Amino acid sequence: MGQPLAPPAAIAHLLRRAAFSAGAGTAEMESAPGYEQAVERVLATVDEPPDLLPADFDAYRPGTIQHTWLARLLAGRGALAERLAFFWHGHFATSQAKVTDGPLLWRQMELFRSQGAGRFEDLVLAVSRDVAMVRFLDGNANRKGHPNENYARELMELFALGRGAYSEHDVRELARAFSGWGSRHHEFVFTESFHDAGAKTLLGHSGSFDGEAAVKIVVGHPACAPFVCRKLARFFLAPEPPEPLIERLVVAWRATDGRVREVLRALFLDPEFRAPAHARSLVRSPVEFVVAAARLAGHAELPPAVEGSLDRLGQVLFRPPSVKGWTSGTAWLTAGTLVERLRAAQVLAEGVSVSAAEAAILREFGATPPPALRAVLSAAPVERRLALAFASPEFQLA
Amino acid sequence: MTPRLDRRELLGLGVSLGGLALFPRCLRAEPAAAGRVRATVVLIHLVGGNDGLNTLVPYAHKRYRSARPTLALGREAVVPLSEGLGLHPSLRPLAPLWEKRQLAIVAGVGYPQPDFSHFRSTEIWQTAQPERAPTFGWVGRALAERPSASPLRAVALAREQPLAFTAPEPTVATLTDFGRFRLPAGLEEVARLYATSGERTGAAGAVAAAGERALALAHKISRLSPADGPWQGPLGEDLRKALSLLEADLDLEALHLSFGGFDTHAAQARVHGELLGALAQNLALWQARLERAKLAERVVTVVYSEFGRRVDENASAGTDHGSAGPVFVLGNGLTGGLLGTQPALDDLDDGNLRFTTDFRRIYAALLRHAWDQDPAPVLGDVTPLELFR
Repeated sequence: MGQPLAPPAAIAHLLRRAAFSAGAGTAEMESAPGYEQAVERVLATVDEPPDLLPADFDAYRPGTIQHTWLARLLAGRGALAERLAFFWHGHFATSQAKVTDGPLLWRQMELFRSQGAGRFEDLVLAVSRDVAMVRFLDGNANRKGHPNENYARELMELFALGRGAYSEHDVRELARAFSGWGSRHHEFVFTESFHDAGAKTLLGHSGSFDGEAAVKIVVGHPACAPFVCRKLARFFLAPEPPEPLIERLVVAWRATDGRVREVLRALFLDPEFRAPAHARSLVRSPVEFVVAAARLAGHAELPPAVEGSLDRLGQVLFRPPSVKGWTSGTAWLTAGTLVERLRAAQVLAEGVSVSAAEAAILREFGATPPPALRAVLSAAPVERRLALAFASPEFQLA
Repeated sequence: MTPRLDRRELLGLGVSLGGLALFPRCLRAEPAAAGRVRATVVLIHLVGGNDGLNTLVPYAHKRYRSARPTLALGREAVVPLSEGLGLHPSLRPLAPLWEKRQLAIVAGVGYPQPDFSHFRSTEIWQTAQPERAPTFGWVGRALAERPSASPLRAVALAREQPLAFTAPEPTVATLTDFGRFRLPAGLEEVARLYATSGERTGAAGAVAAAGERALALAHKISRLSPADGPWQGPLGEDLRKALSLLEADLDLEALHLSFGGFDTHAAQARVHGELLGALAQNLALWQARLERAKLAERVVTVVYSEFGRRVDENASAGTDHGSAGPVFVLGNGLTGGLLGTQPALDDLDDGNLRFTTDFRRIYAALLRHAWDQDPAPVLGDVTPLELFR
């Protein structure tokens, strides 16, 4: 797999994966005495609380929750907590197209941010009671005698186990366990009379399970740890992470009762993580692209033209296209979206001084950028280099 | 996947391009060629819920006349199609297409347990998954079943992606004006960055190659201008752009257009007549221009709405949200005429028509005919409607 990357390249790689990019909040990691210390500093950010909300924050106002979250991503407090919130948002994908109340989606995102590094079982239990999720997957329609299987099915298929690990019978039984888990106004409510307290068999276990017991059974299923570890590795490392690495992550999961922070520590410290083949192997999604560029350029907020182009770029926060979340890979780059990326690259580079631009390019690409990019950058006038760097094929990759 | 050309296409290409030109097209190695389908499906959504009963009018029915004291259209007004059924008079420009069998009308299209919310019913029509939480759009799922490396497979003439086009891979674009596809000034060197995919390896090579194809296509689109002609209103504006896209031969598999204003809760008669008039005049022009451009064989146009309206008109000389309605299909090679069954007016479901044809049967026919694809993985066990000869 080649000699693992060493600092500073290894730390730049870590930050592209764990902090969107170098930028506000990462100087301490970049100046760490070694790679392991940088990993510890990144991991410690999961405990950093976010900045206070602006006084006029109104989650009902259209666009506000996306705008406010983007500003947090640029500010860089709790870098890994934010990165995990973004990961879980794509994993437990809930859309404003159906859950129209902004405050509910904002609360769900705060849940991901505050509990995203904790035990997966706790996270799943909290998501199962999260009002946005209850509304999104029809918890209020799931009643004794009239089960609605939406949440039960997606919990096993998309959130915890993957296809093939369960049967249609398990879906029906899990739906029964969750019956009565609903919401009133903006709060979770359990309605005893809607709950089916009868005997169930779920994934080989028998008993009169309620939702809480059922979550334990699902998360304890042998397929859960590899399923979630693989998804984390796909997000943080490579489109096709090697299976031996997944097995090592599963060991870390089992040793720590499924603590996401410990799985990530094992991932970031694994020599595989720093294998040169994985550097710049993940295509940046539209949000990852604009956030990385804006952080490197030092913007406190996204330029309005860029924020307004996210729908044309193909990714609007709180509006994933389906419960399966967003796509990945070169599929992000189409005739429509690539031109929008180039437009955004230009706007994001505007107003950045020549010295700040040179520093940003150095932070992202190191002292020796890839040859094809270096040739174009050195031929271009200095004031255009940052826009070109953002527009380059290399920058579309993290 | 190799390009599939049937005899008719071979003849068509032979006539329009000459025999020699045919071979490079077939043998072209680049993956974009694999996306070639028999016909582009153009979907037009009448937003708001079109009043099907005053579109395909059961003018002779006693219950129709009593339900619509101010809105009923009589025998003298309608364009007669068959015994007891006629078109709204504003749809007269479509009569020649009907006679040439270039227009088929499917009566009573809907789905079980109708939903009367615009959003939810649109979601059902556009995802074709009435019984579950929606995943992707029906077009998006169909595209995913036939992988292609084309950097653009479907275009919505809209600011926001319609649900029908949401896809596992965003090879679909929204288009409001062609200029948005133009490379921003000052970034000309960028084209060079992506044209050097051969110098790159691994992921950067793949990104550069995908980008190079995408930029070439974007460049082509940026140079288009909307087709001229006496187009009318916002639908006309979108159709003239759609026509340019089709004339540019971009191998697009689907287009989606929206035409709003059909939520006629009050004073319906005038506004509904104007909307249908604009629809008919634009569609007649559309089909004529497709003929002129020798594209009529390669385009199927489908006009649908998220629901029809209640049988009884309301107290404001309008109609409220209802259920089933007619779907119009335009193109060559249609069986033509009236398909399905007009819902019975004397057997209503809580004041609403009972649908007689499931909308998914139309989609299944489109998948089979236009995209040469098995409908089952996309739509489940649905019998395609006999739309095409």
